[in-house]
Amino acid sequence: MPNSPGPIQDVEFKLNGDTISRPVSSRQLLIHFLRDELGLRGPKIGCDTGHCGACTVSYNGRTIKSCMMLAVQADGAEIATVESMASETGELNELQESFREHHALQCGYCTSGILMSSKFLLERNPKPNAGEIREGIHGNICRCTGYVNIVKAISAVAHGDSGSDLEERLEKEQAGEVRA
Amino acid sequence: MLLAAVDYYRPQSLSEALDALDSTPGARALAGGQSLISILKLRATTVELLVDISRLEELRSLDVADDGSVVIGAGVTYDEMATSAPFQTVHPRLSQVAAHTVDAQVRNRGTFGGNLCHNDPINNFPPVAVAMDAVMHVTSKTGSRDIAASDFFTGYFTNALNPGELLTSVTLPPLSGRRLGYQEIAIGEAAARAVALVATSNGNIESASIAIGCLPVPVRRPIVEQALAGASADESTVAEATSSAGDGLEPISDADASADYRQAMASVVARRAVMDAIDGGHNAE
Amino acid sequence: MTTQTPEKVTAPTWTGQSMPRKEDERLLKAQGSFVDDEGMYRQGYAQLVRSPHAHARIISIDVSKAEALPGVITTLTGNEVKAMTEPLFQFAPRADGSQVNEYLLGVDIVRFQGEAVVAILAETREIARDAADLVEIDYDPLPVNVDGVAAADPDAFVLHESLGDNVGWKGEFDWGDIDWALENADHVVKIDKLHFHRYSSTPIECNAILVNWDPGTDMIRVVSNNQFPMFGALVIAPSMGVGIDQFDFVSQDIGGGFGIKINSYTTIGVMALLSRKAGRPVKWTETRTEHHQSGGHGNERTFLDIEVPVMADGTILGFKTKAYDDAGAYLHYEPLGAVIWSQVVPGPYKLKHVYVDYTETLTNKCPATPNRGYSRMQHIWFVERVIDLVAQELDHDPVAVRKLNYVQPEDYPYTTPNGCVYDSGDLPTALDKVLDLIDYEGAKKLKAQRAGSGKRIGIGIGTTLDSGTNNFGQSRILNPELPFSGNGEACTALLDLYGEVMLKLGTNPQGQGHETAASQVAADILGMSPENIRVWVGFDKSHSAYIGFSGTYASQFAVTGINAVIGAVNKLKAEIIEVAAHAFGAEQDQIELVNGEARIIGNPEAAIPFIGIANMVYANNATLPHEMAERVSLTCRHVYVPPFEVPDTEKKYGNLTLTYATQTHAAVIEVDEESGKVDILNYAVVDDCGKRINPMLVEGQVHGATAHGIGAALKEAFEYDEDGQLLTSNFLFYHAATSTDVPHIKTDNIESPSPFTGTGAKGMGEGGGAPVHTICAAIQNALGPNAAIVNDSHNPPERVWRMLKWSGSADERGVKVVSKTGGG
Repeated sequence: MPNSPGPIQDVEFKLNGDTISRPVSSRQLLIHFLRDELGLRGPKIGCDTGHCGACTVSYNGRTIKSCMMLAVQADGAEIATVESMASETGELNELQESFREHHALQCGYCTSGILMSSKFLLERNPKPNAGEIREGIHGNICRCTGYVNIVKAISAVAHGDSGSDLEERLEKEQAGEVRA
Repeated sequence: MLLAAVDYYRPQSLSEALDALDSTPGARALAGGQSLISILKLRATTVELLVDISRLEELRSLDVADDGSVVIGAGVTYDEMATSAPFQTVHPRLSQVAAHTVDAQVRNRGTFGGNLCHNDPINNFPPVAVAMDAVMHVTSKTGSRDIAASDFFTGYFTNALNPGELLTSVTLPPLSGRRLGYQEIAIGEAAARAVALVATSNGNIESASIAIGCLPVPVRRPIVEQALAGASADESTVAEATSSAGDGLEPISDADASADYRQAMASVVARRAVMDAIDGGHNAE
Repeated sequence: MTTQTPEKVTAPTWTGQSMPRKEDERLLKAQGSFVDDEGMYRQGYAQLVRSPHAHARIISIDVSKAEALPGVITTLTGNEVKAMTEPLFQFAPRADGSQVNEYLLGVDIVRFQGEAVVAILAETREIARDAADLVEIDYDPLPVNVDGVAAADPDAFVLHESLGDNVGWKGEFDWGDIDWALENADHVVKIDKLHFHRYSSTPIECNAILVNWDPGTDMIRVVSNNQFPMFGALVIAPSMGVGIDQFDFVSQDIGGGFGIKINSYTTIGVMALLSRKAGRPVKWTETRTEHHQSGGHGNERTFLDIEVPVMADGTILGFKTKAYDDAGAYLHYEPLGAVIWSQVVPGPYKLKHVYVDYTETLTNKCPATPNRGYSRMQHIWFVERVIDLVAQELDHDPVAVRKLNYVQPEDYPYTTPNGCVYDSGDLPTALDKVLDLIDYEGAKKLKAQRAGSGKRIGIGIGTTLDSGTNNFGQSRILNPELPFSGNGEACTALLDLYGEVMLKLGTNPQGQGHETAASQVAADILGMSPENIRVWVGFDKSHSAYIGFSGTYASQFAVTGINAVIGAVNKLKAEIIEVAAHAFGAEQDQIELVNGEARIIGNPEAAIPFIGIANMVYANNATLPHEMAERVSLTCRHVYVPPFEVPDTEKKYGNLTLTYATQTHAAVIEVDEESGKVDILNYAVVDDCGKRINPMLVEGQVHGATAHGIGAALKEAFEYDEDGQLLTSNFLFYHAATSTDVPHIKTDNIESPSPFTGTGAKGMGEGGGAPVHTICAAIQNALGPNAAIVNDSHNPPERVWRMLKWSGSADERGVKVVSKTGGG
């Protein structure tokens, strides 16, 4: 039961395929609802202005920041979080496996959000180049990896290469790219 | 990060939304929420009732007419602008601008109307609307009216809407052979931005509209526009004509940049926007 | 389950491999446990009420309306805290005993915007937040000082009446003979001012604390993401009147730390007191804005009146300067930073004569706290600016000047003027490699081509040292009475009841991959796969091995942590072999460990799986000689202690750090003349951290440290206005580097094993702030000679634009050369 003072609404939505139906405080952000009321650990909080992307979830098939939406606004929607990525028996999916293989995470705090953004990016653009990958995850801040291995991990999944082939292709794609 | 208590209502139709906005003091329309929710998180404003207009079909169409004019529903997202094929055809540059607005998550949620109504100096569409002489279609329970873009933006985070009024759609007049240029200098957020609408013929500029953004109120630069009209469409002539684009502006000063810098950059982005329009395919950000 | 191989297996197979991490699967599946993921039964939610003023006297605090709000459990004010606690322990009180008096909450006077003055506990987050708005506080504003140099002025308004001035610590550092050097140099390069700005690596998880002061046991269980809890307890426990050992610190996954998360100890104290008052567990989660206002900032340092004696051939003899370090409003971890820079006094160069007049001042800003590269990067940035300005002003090639002045490969171990011993390295080779990576010759051609185009090319080099494994004896340079010296780390290796090998570390990592690296070295010793070694995840004082220095900081795990693991696992191996030898009736040297079994060398049939060994010791011990059964525990703790002595505190002389990893960076940038915007065209790093346990982890640290430095150099700064209001208090204005800000980073490495660590490994990870040096050098290079000088570490477009536009006279450049007449 919502336990914050103020108006309450009923909300019903699909979360990772399961139906969630319960009253929610109107003022509660979706991120707090997912974490505090539903006990999810995937979406995380890293800022208070909608810049860090740690809370990124899929809303009707598109990524959004769950700190920039009220829980009650999710009524009728289909929400997916990083918890939906691994198989039912717990195997990492291809993207997760690539992140592991390429050391694309360190502390792991931003990782849930980055995975969701990466997944959306690849759904939109199955063969992104390095610049498109960087643009695709631009709404997610990672402070550990410098993004280098994240770009590599996503690119490897998209293009199906590895090792020196992957390194050389990325090197070419990023050569002379004007940044910062 | 935690909002103050607020009520929430999701009307099923535009008229229900207008009723709610009319009858509830302290009611405010909630579209994509990419600005409003932030403000509520910081408790920087008080709202009694959030009227969620994000799903109203009446606000969600993006129509391109035969004459090239476009009517964009206030609830159309940046991503929808970026991916609409008819819109890409008539407005390739604006489509690109939409495709690079903030980030993927914000593009999936943030709306054209919200961007305009919020009128944060860092928002990118107010100067677009002003440069294009867009027409803002506004409705309330008591009637509808059109507001010229140049009258719509009234100050820092403020607009010409009266209580109970809602921006429902915006008409972008046809380009009619003109091309759109858009350039900004970003320091995290944009510090200077210009939008130019330019018609050329035989290497000369026939007409130009220039709007400068990153200001409390985006402004047109008639003196620059006059100087450009009839001028040669080469970089040095354009540079000369746009050199006064920052004159008289009163930009904000903040942690990103001083007013002096922003003012100096106004003429830089003005020239680049004009050249962006002239070069056509040259659409570097 | 075991595969039998006839030949003896001895070669290490795991150490040195880029093995994917043990940590990753749980993190990728959102099965990690960060503090905010955790809860305790009956917990309340805490909210801190913070001062909106940078400096003000508190006239009154009224919490009655907040307490009357339904759902509010209790409140705690500064006055209550003052009544029940003592001021916080200070590291270096003055000789007369005077010191900064700081309490866990602001008392009487607030000294920075965001200082906590009231804590509220409520049933929900929202109620606690609502209640904060109902606390009524009357403030009487006081004069504000945000300038770390001006603060030292005797006439400056004093923040702490107990001190009488704004000097947190002051000391002279004088090595070699700078007067002789200035007298005898062919040239003296004089630089007016160099300023290293405030920023932080802003871990993406903010601070969070879950604490229960158990009224029954009087134990204080603290689940937090503090990265050096042993330190924090040392400061807060005496203040709170409790035993340090009453604190039971727990952490599992930590969402980045970078040093900043050392600083949350005062809030841990507040939340513990709140828990005691309420009789309930307390959960507190910091917001990003709170983190920026009060979570801790990296040190801001200003160098004035710099004099650099240089010989005609470009040999730099040393330098003289006055340094002002702005500690902010309170000394948190400081003044340790006032001495930690002296680990790298000459930087990577053979500078012999150094004089620094060092003052740490107190200002109305957030307290400074360690941040990746802590205190050394400020200093090395200064040294690198000096090197490049010397090269430019005396018309030397920056590459040649570096190569001439570098500590040379044959000089190691090299003793610096203050007694630090650089262990190993090969800087000239590293520089050649990194210049190859950025195509130095091509970049120079590009620079020439672009001249006059409106886009200027700049090429910059940054050499840096990542000093690792502190000698805490250096704290005695600040205060000879301090009971700290040396360093160390602990590990317990055990063969558990049913045959599982487990390691318990003392560290509480924040993404550095300690579980993986520890399991790799243990696997080689025990002849088994790292997969089959369980490393206790996170830190729990009631389970983990630890000593007073335990934590994750200061680039040391590869030395202290890994050597503790090696020591403990070797002890465990010896016990396993002893038990196995007894069981086989064999000599111990006939036993080898392969694939989780102890067996007779050359006879794979004669094998006892580890579960059998465990059984003999834990549950079948009548089969062992009684003496062995009592002695062998299969639970082996080892404390690694690096070889340090107490420094000479008078001369400020001694070895302060065990290892010196090096990083050499190079960048090619493009500067837009119209806007001052800097784009990075090419960026490369050559790392040398000796033997690498897991090259992939090393490279990941290089990437991360590089991104932090690039962010700092171009985008990230904590800027205050003159009223002490932080202008960059959240990610709207604090532009943490994104994926489009950080370029592709090319990397290579060389391996100069440390002779001092047993394994040849060196600690690394902090990275020494090299990108800040590199980008500044590149901007300077783009500006060219006779132009403005880059005298600030932070160069956003407007600052670069102003430098490009600068058109002052030669006297106003802030740098000049005084040459010996008739000398040479």
